[in-house]
Amino acid sequence: MGVFKISDPGEVEAFDPARFTEEKVAEIRRFVGDGKAAIATSGGVDSTVCAALAHRALGERLACFFLDTGFMREGEVEEVKGILTSLGLPLRVLSVSDRFMAALKGKSDAEAKRIAFRETFYTVLGEAARAEGCDVLIQGTIAPDWIETAGGIKTQHNVLEQLGVDTKTAFGFRLLEPLLDLYKDQVRRLAVHLGVRLDASQRQPFPGPGLMVRCIGEVTEEKMEVLRRATTVVEGELSRLDPPPKQYFAAVAEDDRREADSRMARAAVGPNGRAWYLGARATGVKGDERAYGRMVVVEPGEQTEPADLLGIVEKVIHEDWGVVRVLLRVDGREGKAGGYAVIVRAVETRDFMTVKPTPVPREMLRRIASRTMEDPRVGLVCYDLTSKPPATVEFE
Amino acid sequence: MEIPVVFLGGQYNHLIVRALKELGVSSRLVMPRITLEDLRGADGLVMGGGPYSVNDGMGRFGGLPEIIERAEFPVLGICLSHQLIGKLLGGEVVKGRKPEYGRTVIRVLEEDEILSGVGKEFTAWASHNDEVRRTGNERFSVLADSEYCGVEALRAHGRPLYGVQFHPEVAETPKGKDVLRNFIGICRR
Repeated sequence: MGVFKISDPGEVEAFDPARFTEEKVAEIRRFVGDGKAAIATSGGVDSTVCAALAHRALGERLACFFLDTGFMREGEVEEVKGILTSLGLPLRVLSVSDRFMAALKGKSDAEAKRIAFRETFYTVLGEAARAEGCDVLIQGTIAPDWIETAGGIKTQHNVLEQLGVDTKTAFGFRLLEPLLDLYKDQVRRLAVHLGVRLDASQRQPFPGPGLMVRCIGEVTEEKMEVLRRATTVVEGELSRLDPPPKQYFAAVAEDDRREADSRMARAAVGPNGRAWYLGARATGVKGDERAYGRMVVVEPGEQTEPADLLGIVEKVIHEDWGVVRVLLRVDGREGKAGGYAVIVRAVETRDFMTVKPTPVPREMLRRIASRTMEDPRVGLVCYDLTSKPPATVEFE
Repeated sequence: MEIPVVFLGGQYNHLIVRALKELGVSSRLVMPRITLEDLRGADGLVMGGGPYSVNDGMGRFGGLPEIIERAEFPVLGICLSHQLIGKLLGGEVVKGRKPEYGRTVIRVLEEDEILSGVGKEFTAWASHNDEVRRTGNERFSVLADSEYCGVEALRAHGRPLYGVQFHPEVAETPKGKDVLRNFIGICRR
């Protein structure tokens, strides 16, 4: 009964990059016809591989856009341009950070921010694509993206039908997603086959909305600047671990901590420990349901390695079911003089469906904290002790 | 050897398919409205987890209650599907007082075949708000528990129908492959 079959994922052994390329090149040519197509690339492995594939099919009939949203890391815009240019892709850079900042103004809810980002992204891209005469948009969506998006029990075969988005009406183009059935490891094999530079194909995941989802709560110029500096420090230090964590980054939130009651502190870190709530909320996943809840910062009475503290997350959540993340206080100034809290996140995983925190040595975290606090606006530095579930990898 | 996986909307449903394939079994995702007729020729069935509660009605579960009642091939339910089996076999499903999200330690009470060779205790990952409780009238044996959850694994009396509350399909459950391999062994007979 083919009607019941919704996908055939996981054929790792059977995947043949050469055959896949041949089939998809033909499919892209059929779909685009005599017209032109646009693709937006972030420099990440999925969209870069997808661009290389589409370029093989369409040549000069492909317009490759890179949106500088203002949410990229230090030096990233230049780095991505270098990667894409080296592939011979016809690259157009759109500097549109003002549009994104305007769309996000006043928004502090994680979902509201993501929706504003998506609307702005496709509106800007649609304008640019139409100006180039493109009526097709090609996108590098892969299997876990739509399997996670699907969430509920629906029988449609692709993510657009499931989201109910008609791109032709909404944004003025037809959509093609050639990598829809692939997993990350298959995309990496395709990257090698297509000659995509290895440093691009092995880059750690970086979300489409970039630093926006690590700038917890409302995005401001100042907060983004603090985050960008902290990101450089955290990435620089943690990349020296051997092997480096599967993914590692910094996030920032307002340092508006208030002390939790002593019961919480005792349950979490014993009689000499302390615990605080941060005001900002973060995303998580509990029992396959999306959660959006509070973050608790803990400080044990004794100096303990993060590796020995992973069990306290459960204790904190059993005290307060509204908590999705538990953070270890690494260092901080007295009071709230700094204004911002920087959170260090590093995780180990096979496939990003479940993750556990990397046991980063306390010594390294202390060095990260002191370097991060050279920025006088940073008053608190924490390390995220939460696995997925109950947290997600990213904060929003 | 063909063991389809029922998609109930959970985060890890496709990882079950992937794990079964890595163990040399042919597999694919199927929807809950599937019937026993559709499953003719299958050697077994695994049912995944999902973001619902069995206490919110049976509408989302399509043909699964009938399959659980009548299937002649072995069936394994994971997380939400484990709760579905527990409820249909006379247990009750309640909100856990101390829900598990992430790492937990499974304590094996009775090995049976499904937990054969995994040891007395093993680390597993779980993610659930609801849990199965015994009522005294249940038609299953409890094979494992954990500190916070009384029924981590169950087997129906007299039939190869199993449920596990934890997730054997995720990378962070190192013994999970053994559990799935045991299930494949049961299907092979």
